[in-house]
Amino acid sequence: MNISLALIHWAIVLSMPILLVGLVNRTKSWWVGRKGPRLFQSAYDLWRLLGKRPVVSTTASPLFLAGAYVVLICGLLAASMIPILGQFAPLQFSHDFVVVAYTLGLARIFLMISAMDVGSPFEGMGAAREASFATFAEPALFLLIGTASAATGMTSFADLIGHLHHTPHYAIIVAPLTIALLILLQAEAARIPVDDPMTHLELTMIHEVMILDHSGPELAAMQYAAAMKMTLYAGLIAALINPFNPLADPVAGVLVSLVLMLIVAIAVGCIESLSARLPMRWVPAYLLIASVAALGSMLVIGLGASGV
Amino acid sequence: MNQLILAVLILMLGAGLCLLPIRNATRAGIGLVSQVLATLVAWSVVIPVLLGAPDITGEMPWAYPIGDLHFRLDALGAFFLSWSLPMTFLGGVYAVGYMDKYFNTPRHLGVHFALLNMISVSFLLVYTGEHTVTFLFGWEIAALAAWLLVIWDYPNEKVRFAGFNYLVSTHIGLIFLVAAVMILYTHTHSWFLDDFGDWMSHNPGTLRNTVFLLLVTSFGLKSAFFPFHSWLPRAHAAAPAHVSALMSGVIHKAGLYALVRFILLLGKPDEWMGWFLIVFSVISALVGGLYTVGQRDLKRLLGYSSTENVGIAGIGFGIGCLGLTWDSPGLVALGFGGGLLHVLNHAFFKCQLFYAAGCVYQVKHVVDLERLGGLFKLMPITALCFIVGGIAISALPPFNGFASEFMIYSGLFTGESIGVWAKLTLGLVAAALAFVGAVSALSITRAFGVIFLGNSRDSSLPEGREASRWMLVPMCIHAVGTTVLGVVPVLGLAMVAGPTALMMRAMPVEVVTVNLQSTIEILTRIGLISGALAVCIGLVVWWRFKAKKSAHRCSMPPGLWLRGANASHAIHRGQLFQRTSPHTSKASWC
Repeated sequence: MNISLALIHWAIVLSMPILLVGLVNRTKSWWVGRKGPRLFQSAYDLWRLLGKRPVVSTTASPLFLAGAYVVLICGLLAASMIPILGQFAPLQFSHDFVVVAYTLGLARIFLMISAMDVGSPFEGMGAAREASFATFAEPALFLLIGTASAATGMTSFADLIGHLHHTPHYAIIVAPLTIALLILLQAEAARIPVDDPMTHLELTMIHEVMILDHSGPELAAMQYAAAMKMTLYAGLIAALINPFNPLADPVAGVLVSLVLMLIVAIAVGCIESLSARLPMRWVPAYLLIASVAALGSMLVIGLGASGV
Repeated sequence: MNQLILAVLILMLGAGLCLLPIRNATRAGIGLVSQVLATLVAWSVVIPVLLGAPDITGEMPWAYPIGDLHFRLDALGAFFLSWSLPMTFLGGVYAVGYMDKYFNTPRHLGVHFALLNMISVSFLLVYTGEHTVTFLFGWEIAALAAWLLVIWDYPNEKVRFAGFNYLVSTHIGLIFLVAAVMILYTHTHSWFLDDFGDWMSHNPGTLRNTVFLLLVTSFGLKSAFFPFHSWLPRAHAAAPAHVSALMSGVIHKAGLYALVRFILLLGKPDEWMGWFLIVFSVISALVGGLYTVGQRDLKRLLGYSSTENVGIAGIGFGIGCLGLTWDSPGLVALGFGGGLLHVLNHAFFKCQLFYAAGCVYQVKHVVDLERLGGLFKLMPITALCFIVGGIAISALPPFNGFASEFMIYSGLFTGESIGVWAKLTLGLVAAALAFVGAVSALSITRAFGVIFLGNSRDSSLPEGREASRWMLVPMCIHAVGTTVLGVVPVLGLAMVAGPTALMMRAMPVEVVTVNLQSTIEILTRIGLISGALAVCIGLVVWWRFKAKKSAHRCSMPPGLWLRGANASHAIHRGQLFQRTSPHTSKASWC
C-alpha cells in the first residue's frame, strides 16, 4: 500500500516538472493567442541538452560542475520528504521539514557558487538577488509550518499538512496559507511577478542569469531541478487544499492532488500573462505578504485556542 | 584531580621555559610540547568523566580570607575542557606557520606561546573551579592573556586601540560578575558555587532575578551577545588569525559555559528567564547575522558571525530553561543538548574559517573582499576548507552545524503540549532562526564567491600559492572534525549527553533517553544519507571533470565577451561601454 503510494509519489515528482512547465507555457500562449509549444516540449529540450558537449569557462573550478548536480540531488532529496499527495511522503520522520528547508538551502548555496564561479558580474548579481530574496522567503515557510504545528501538535511534514484538515479553524486559515505558498512558489521557482523566466535582458534576471554560463547536461540538470521545485510547491498547495486523505482514499486523493497541481500551474500561467514583473525593490515587500499571511493564520490559531 | 593539577603545572612550566633566552624555534617547540602533554594528561580524567564516570573533586589548602580552594570536574566542565585544550594546541601549531617571518628576528616569540599556555591554564581553572575565587582568577587570566595576544602587532595604533577596547569591555563584564558574586556572598557567607546554588534554588524573588540579569549581562559581554558586542569586530580584525580563531571559537565559550553553569545552579528557573534568554539570543542572532552581510573585511565578517552563533546557542539554552520551568525533559534535552552541541560545532567551524582567512592573509597580505578573487586555483585546500566551514556555519547538511540547529528546531517545534501561544511564539523564533540561517548563507557564500571564485581583482597583490603546512594541517583537522560531526552526529551527541543529563538531574530518566534516542536516530539517518549523496556527487563531478578535458573550454578576451574581473572593474568605474564596444554600437553585448 505504502510502497505503491511511494511509487506514485515518485512518478508524479519526476514527470510533473515537465508537464507543469508545459502547462504554464501553454496557458501563457493561450492568453496571447498563440498556439504555443507542445505540452512536453521541455522533455525534448532536456533530451537535446543531454546530448550536447558543454562549454566551460576557463575561470571555472570543479565547483561549477558540482553545483548542477548538488542542486538536482538536493531537489530529489527534498522531493522524497515533501507530502505532495497529502498525508504521505516516502521519507517521513519527525521534524523532516527542517531537513527539507535546509536541503533546498544547500541547493541554493551551490547554485550561487556555481554562478559566481565563472567570474561574470551578471551572475554575481543574480546570485546576490537570489540570496537576498531567499532571506525573505525562508521565514515565511517556517511561519507556515509553525502555524500548522501549533494547530495540529504534529511534528512531521506530512502529518502537519494532513491533520490540518481536521482542525477547527481550517476553513479560515486555508486561504492565507495557500496565498503564502503561492508566493513562495513564485519566488522559489522564479516566476512572475518575482522573476521573469522569459526575459532576454540579463540585468533583469534572477534565476536565468545564474545559469547563463551552464550548458549541456549541467544546464539540463539545473532546468529540471528548477521545474521540480515548482512541482514541489504546487504539490504542497494541492495537499493543503485536497480534502481526501491518500492513506484512507488513495485513488481520489491522488487524482484530486494531480488535478489541483495542474490548476496551480494554470493559475501561475494566468498570473504571468496578466501581470508584469515587479520592480526589484518591491519584491521583498511582495515576499513579506507571504509572511504576513502566515502570521495572520497564526493569530487565528492563537485567538481560536483562547476561545475568542 | 592530580592529573589536572599536573596539567596546570606542565603548562606553567612550559610558559616559564618559553620566556628563557633561547632560540625562537625552541621556545615554540617547548610551548607546543607542553600543550600536548597537558592535553593528554587532562584527557586521562576528562574523557572518563564526560562519558559518565563520577565527578572528580579536589581541594588545595589556602590562607584566610579565601580559604581552601575547591575543584570539581563534572560532565559540563569536562565537555568544555575536552575540546578547548586540543583546539588551543592546534592554534599553537597554526601560530608556528603564521608567525613564520618572526622566527629569525629579535622579536620574542616565547611570550606568544607562553600566553597560549596561560589560556589553557585559564580553561582548567574556570571549567573546574568550584571556589568563586579560582573561577574569577581563571576568568581574569583568560581576559588578560587574550588582550596581550590581540595586541601582538602593537606598533600599529589601531591594534592597540582594538586591544584597549577589548580590555575595557571585558572588565566591564567582570564588574557585573563581581557584583552578582557579592550579592550571593552576602546571602550565603560562602565562596562555593554549590552554596550559591543552594541559596538560589530556594530563594526565588527579586534578588535572584537581579543576580540572573547581572550574570547574563556579564556572560553576554564575554561571549559578545548583541548589545555588548562592540569590542568584537575590532579585536577580531586586529588580532593574528589564530588568536581570532581561539577567541571566537574557544576562549569566549567560557561565557556560555558560565551561563549554563549558573542556570544549573538556579534549580528551577522562572518562566520569564527562559523567554528573556530566547529573546535576547534571537536579537543577537538577527543583528549579528545582518552585520555580516555588509562587511568588506573577512575577519570582521567572521567576528560578527560569532555574535550570531552565540545567539543560536543561546536560543537552545533558553528552550532548555523553559523545559526546566515546565518540567518537560524533552525540551531540556533538545534545548541544552542542541545549544551545547552548537557551541562545540561552532568551535570547529569558526576556527576553521578564521584559519582559512589567516592563510589568505599570509599569502595575499589583505583580507579585503573587494581586492581578492580567484584564489580557488592558487589555494585549493584553503578554499575547500573555507567552503566546508561556510556550509557548516550556514547550518546546512551534511556538515555539523546542521545537527545542532536541527536539535534546536526540534525544540522549537516541540510535539509536547505547552499551550498554543507558547507554541506560536516558538514558531516565530523558528522563523527568525530561518531568517538568520538564510542571511548567514548569503554572507558566507558572498565571501567565498568573491575571494575564491572568479578572477583576481587586484594585480598589485603578491603572487603566491598555498600557505605553509603548519597552517594547513590544523585547518584540515578542523575540517575533518566538521565533516565527521556532521555525517556521524552520534559522536557529538555522545559528548553532550553527559552535560545534558546533568541539567535533568531532577527529572525521570526514562523519558529523557527516549527523547534523545529518536533525535539520534533521525540525525544519524540524515547524516548518512547526505554523506552518501555527497560522495555520489563527488564521483559524478570527478567523472564530468575528467570528461571536460575533451570539452570545449572557452576563454574570450574580456573586451569582447563581458566576462571576468576586468568587466566587473569596468562596471565599477563606469567604463563599461568604452571598454566593451570601442567600435560597435553601445548595446551590442546584450
